[in-house]
Amino acid sequence: MKSTAIIFFQLLIPLLMTTGCWNLKEPDQLAFVGGNGLDLTEDGKLEASALLVTPSGVGGGQSGGDKKGSFHVMNATGKNVSDALANMQTMISRVVFAGHRDIFLVGQKLAEKGMGDTIDPFMRSAQSDMRAMIYVVKNGRPKDVFSSKPFFDPFITTTLSDEQEAIGLKPYLAREFVVDVLSDGTQPLLPAVSLNPSKQYSYSGTAILNKDDGVKLVGFLDKKESTYALWIADRISSFILTTFVPEGDGNISLTIDTIGRRIKAKQIEERIQIDVHLIGEGAIIENNTNLDPSKREDLLLIQEKVNQKTKKSIEQLVKKVQEEYQMDIFGFGETVHQQYPRQWKKIKQNWPKTFPTVDVLVKVELQCNDSGLANSSLNRR
Amino acid sequence: MGQFAKSDGRKKLNTNDSKSTENNSQTIGKSILENEQMFKSLFLHSSDIMYREITIHDQTKLLMIYVDGMVNTDMIISNILEPLMYKGLPQGLGSIESVIEMFEQERFSVLQTKKVSNIEEISDHILKGNLAILVDGEHFALLADVKKIETRSISESAIEPVLRGSRESFTENLRTNTTMMRRILATPKLKIESLKIGKLTKTDVAVVYIEGIVAPPVLNEVLKRLKCIQTNGILESGIIEQYLEEAPFSPFPQILNSERPDVAAASLLEGRVAILTNGTPFSLIVPMTFWSGLQAPDDYHQRFLFVAMIRWVRYIFTILSVFLPCIYIALTNFHPEMVPPELMLNIASLRESAPFPTVIEVLLMEFMFEGLQEAGLRLPKQIGPLVSIVGALVIGEAAVSAGIISAPVVIVVATGGIASFIIPRYSFSFPLRMLRFPLIILSGILGIFGIAIGISAILIHLLHLQSFGTPYLSPVAPLKMRGLKDVLLRWPQKMVKKEGDQL
Repeated sequence: MKSTAIIFFQLLIPLLMTTGCWNLKEPDQLAFVGGNGLDLTEDGKLEASALLVTPSGVGGGQSGGDKKGSFHVMNATGKNVSDALANMQTMISRVVFAGHRDIFLVGQKLAEKGMGDTIDPFMRSAQSDMRAMIYVVKNGRPKDVFSSKPFFDPFITTTLSDEQEAIGLKPYLAREFVVDVLSDGTQPLLPAVSLNPSKQYSYSGTAILNKDDGVKLVGFLDKKESTYALWIADRISSFILTTFVPEGDGNISLTIDTIGRRIKAKQIEERIQIDVHLIGEGAIIENNTNLDPSKREDLLLIQEKVNQKTKKSIEQLVKKVQEEYQMDIFGFGETVHQQYPRQWKKIKQNWPKTFPTVDVLVKVELQCNDSGLANSSLNRR
Repeated sequence: MGQFAKSDGRKKLNTNDSKSTENNSQTIGKSILENEQMFKSLFLHSSDIMYREITIHDQTKLLMIYVDGMVNTDMIISNILEPLMYKGLPQGLGSIESVIEMFEQERFSVLQTKKVSNIEEISDHILKGNLAILVDGEHFALLADVKKIETRSISESAIEPVLRGSRESFTENLRTNTTMMRRILATPKLKIESLKIGKLTKTDVAVVYIEGIVAPPVLNEVLKRLKCIQTNGILESGIIEQYLEEAPFSPFPQILNSERPDVAAASLLEGRVAILTNGTPFSLIVPMTFWSGLQAPDDYHQRFLFVAMIRWVRYIFTILSVFLPCIYIALTNFHPEMVPPELMLNIASLRESAPFPTVIEVLLMEFMFEGLQEAGLRLPKQIGPLVSIVGALVIGEAAVSAGIISAPVVIVVATGGIASFIIPRYSFSFPLRMLRFPLIILSGILGIFGIAIGISAILIHLLHLQSFGTPYLSPVAPLKMRGLKDVLLRWPQKMVKKEGDQL
């Protein structure tokens, strides 16, 4: 027994010295970062901002008393990100702790210049949480977003991290962004937020980035286009679709919550053709037409019209992306890669140039499997 | 089999024995006057020893010696004095050589009699409540069993309560206890071997086992170690336990104690050995394993699914009771990224005004908790509840609102404390309570790494520990699939072969 114990502790001593894991920090010695933001100042300097949570303003317990603000936004400039953060630390009496960072914001200015260099420390640092979400701030600066006051949460970062799920998107996390940046066949498509004049944030579609050119911002898609684009990229779990049906002289709204997509690549001689097959099932939640969805022929008519219109919009979107932005945000390249792994090695180099010329066939198949509780629109009776 | 006790104790015993036999091998003389003087000087300053001299037929002098209060006086009068004084001796001795032999065979209607001449043996018997009758002219004393010792009646077990099962528990009287065992196990294979331990107390100790099921090496080892005990007094089975255990410095008890006859009987059926001690309701059961410390008496009486669940609740709470405080320290001080953000912020906000480091806070609270527990145990029953009220107020409310201790620490320590109450064997909760402190210090210095060191050290110790040759962690380590069923789930009774091969 004694010899076992002695050997055991002798083995432990070198471990103690090698790990160097004396990193005791009481929670009240830490400044918890809710979110980090990066942008360029007016004169082109890199500016890091951070939302620091003030624990005494948040937590439960010790009710009453004067509650301080629940957060504080700090800004600092520097040569690079680490330099800016080090400058920020000089203004804070507690050690900045980014292990609970929820949100990473990129200002539009920086994104336009290319954010490739600046992402590195956030992906490299061991303390960095790869489950953080990344947003591009459209027409604004990260620090303004951080300063805005949400109405549910004490600070904006928790709100932003809940936002994607609330609007039916599959959460797009930092690690997925890294995967997209490093992949050959996909261009990153980041969700974007903007501030309205009353300093409230709102989701404002997505931002297209060019990973081949320093992760530079290429353009924005609006909310509707984003929905379709994310549908093709399989990053959405539910959405509400409102379509005008001329036969019924009114709008029909569907909530679509069973969403699928099938993408097939075909090589016809030298050209590549992509078949995009989008499927979805949903329920009618609003009917402003004079059609009666409980009748089979009316329902089929509605479905056909919805499919046609949606198909048209998606085709327009694909065309716009192919011609205007020329960025493969849908991940068609990955499909080609998977189906033609050998040919892909050749195609890969030229994919950014090939993508705009690819033929995309879109097929939309939406099904209304629930016509709602009412029959025809009450208005038309 | 495992390490058995070293034999130097036995050598001492032998030398002592030979000495004592030399000194006390005196026998009584023939003269009753001399004998009376001799016993009176032996029992000098003992006002409870009674001497009663009677003469029958003006010729035969008798002397009775007994301890007042330990004998049944009615029985002495009706079964011994009356036949002697009124009926007297029959004419002539006939074929019977001595008066004593005649008494023994024809006169005294008591269950047990014994003819003894050794002084020490006679005095022993007197002190145990027997009546000694000395006859003038004969160098024997007749000992008659007329014991009547006041004992507590059989009552419900106070520290091992069950929902379902027998309500009776052992008493302080060894004979009552062996009776209870015999009642449950009505088989001639139930063996009750008797020993006397303690130079002054001469405590009766009974080793109980079932022949054919018990493992002979364990039994022999128990008897061997019991015979090695050299002490003046055995007042409680806990003293025997300390003499029997192999690793006195281990925090884990290696001998199970129980005051329930059904637990003892169940253990015997599993091939264990029970040791009953006169003067205490606590029986010792060997060998003990880690898992038997976590089994409640009525685990086998309830239906299997429920018990399977409750067992896991017990295992989880056992782990919580040891590791919760140190995990809290490690997570908040070393690895705050592992705690969910909202919780971490809450903890941080509650710690905002705390004056002490978390480690000190936890240690303080644990210390207070142990103090409260001990205070509640020692206080008279009437003021006992006061401790809990004051404790709850002072610790739960005042310390937090005064900002001395942060609220999460109170929650953690209280949860860990309550978790240790779930352990069915009270003595088994001691090691868990003790191990908290080194683990708290380790985690305060090294975080999760420190806890890992602590767990490794505990596991190495447990794997090395043995109780009478049985590995402490069996049947988990060394692994025995059949025994495992009982540890993990407590399999349905029908599907378990009960042959006492669990060890």
